[in-house]
Amino acid sequence: MNPAVLELYHWEPNGFFLKPLIALEEKGASFTSRWFDPTRFEQLDAGFPSNVELRLTLEREGPLLVADGEVISSTFFMLEYIAEAVPGPALMPEAAYDRYRARAWGQFLGLTLGSTTSALGCARYLAPDLARRDGAGLRAQVERIEPMERRAAWLAVIDGGSDETALAALRERLSLPVGRLEASLAQGPWLAGPQYSIADIDAYALVDPLRELAPEALNSAHTPRLLAWLTRIAERPAVRAARARSRSGHPERAFVPGVEPARWG
Amino acid sequence: METVAVGLRRHQARHEMLRLYHWEPNANSGKPMLALAEKGVSYESHYLDLLKFDQHQPAYLAINPDGTIPAMVHGDRVLTESTPMMEYIDEAFDGPPLKPPSALERWRMRWWMRFFDAYFGPSLSMIGWSVFVGPAARQRDPEELHAAINRIPLEARRIAWRKAIFNEFSAAELDESRRRVIWATGILESHLTTHEWIAGSTYSLGDINGFNLGYALPLSQPAVCNDERTPHIMEWLRRIFERPATRQTWAKGRTGLAARVSMLERHAPAAG
Repeated sequence: MNPAVLELYHWEPNGFFLKPLIALEEKGASFTSRWFDPTRFEQLDAGFPSNVELRLTLEREGPLLVADGEVISSTFFMLEYIAEAVPGPALMPEAAYDRYRARAWGQFLGLTLGSTTSALGCARYLAPDLARRDGAGLRAQVERIEPMERRAAWLAVIDGGSDETALAALRERLSLPVGRLEASLAQGPWLAGPQYSIADIDAYALVDPLRELAPEALNSAHTPRLLAWLTRIAERPAVRAARARSRSGHPERAFVPGVEPARWG
Repeated sequence: METVAVGLRRHQARHEMLRLYHWEPNANSGKPMLALAEKGVSYESHYLDLLKFDQHQPAYLAINPDGTIPAMVHGDRVLTESTPMMEYIDEAFDGPPLKPPSALERWRMRWWMRFFDAYFGPSLSMIGWSVFVGPAARQRDPEELHAAINRIPLEARRIAWRKAIFNEFSAAELDESRRRVIWATGILESHLTTHEWIAGSTYSLGDINGFNLGYALPLSQPAVCNDERTPHIMEWLRRIFERPATRQTWAKGRTGLAARVSMLERHAPAAG
């Protein structure tokens, strides 16, 4: 059964927030946009929709979709939900093996770039922004955050978000996912089968910021196919419409803490 | 038309070669094993001994260059990520559906599988590797071990094995893993208080995933998971263990690891 009422709680169209905006635009879905500023901790206000899955979400800060009152978090699975439940053009590949590939990309990139792209973006933009604020007031706000992993992610940005050694280590971690994406695009124009799908939407949102944040990893010499793929996606009307929702005019500077890096191995 | 096409594809799927490369019915290997058993799909089983590093031998690396277990080969298609592999199994073969009919419950199933795979599982396995995998591997010649570690393709897996084999987990790391296991067990108990199964009202891949992660919790974490503290988890594990597919799958275990499942056997109350 299709959901009758869709509300999307989101911030600037970048990173995790960009994914459902693109998917809903691709579907031509009518939805209510509920804007919030996660750097002002509006997601912690009383009355903000929540459930256990949102409080524990491993993506830390991100959009949430409310479908007939049910709160949906975790962006790759949100994309699958939109693909399955919202009428409009198909966004999930048709063949079972292509669907496997889409989900395998979602898992792999979520656990790699979901962490690295967010951390690089936070170091560049969020850390200096937070440093300009009243330190005591900021800490008082962060202290309210549960669970402790979500709080720790904010404290990591406040206390050491731009340590150069740590940033160099992060950039080195890009070579595995970026290399695999480039190799995959040598096999065909999209990541999971013959058609554009949620795998492309998901990866686009995590890869596009790297053009600016890590030009040494993403450039015309090393990753020509990846750059061409980014351009193909950026030109889609749905992607333009999603980006056009920016209020700051600089969505590419909007970052909040993302997935925790793997704790071992 | 759609139904006919899907039926035809499934008919063809049944007649293609299906091979599963796996270790014990435990953690990631057990996920596709149990999903295939629930679907009633037979497959060519290739047992790899994780503790002998079979998964890093050239013959297996030719199939899965990452050197991780499990891997499934269906016709000319290779699948190496265990959770998406289970969704493939459900979609490609006949048999009882292992995903709920509603999109919302499918979302919930996927959310919990990620929580198991990326939060609960790694903490539990860090403890398991420090007390079981590491000591077992240390029985072997140290030089051979170094060479074996150097053959591991993924850097992240090399680091994990090195830490496990040479007991390099710090006290702080292990403490944090124990804290997470206790906390996540409480979250799961609370979820199962209001949901019959992980996704809601139907048995699904979420339960298969959770069982592989948690079947031995009452034995490995007796103070955290037991009939008094976590009655809903205990009942959920026992209900899954009663399923014929679960029995059949755990009977394929060759070590004491899989044999731990027997503690989920319900015992008739003592007479009198």
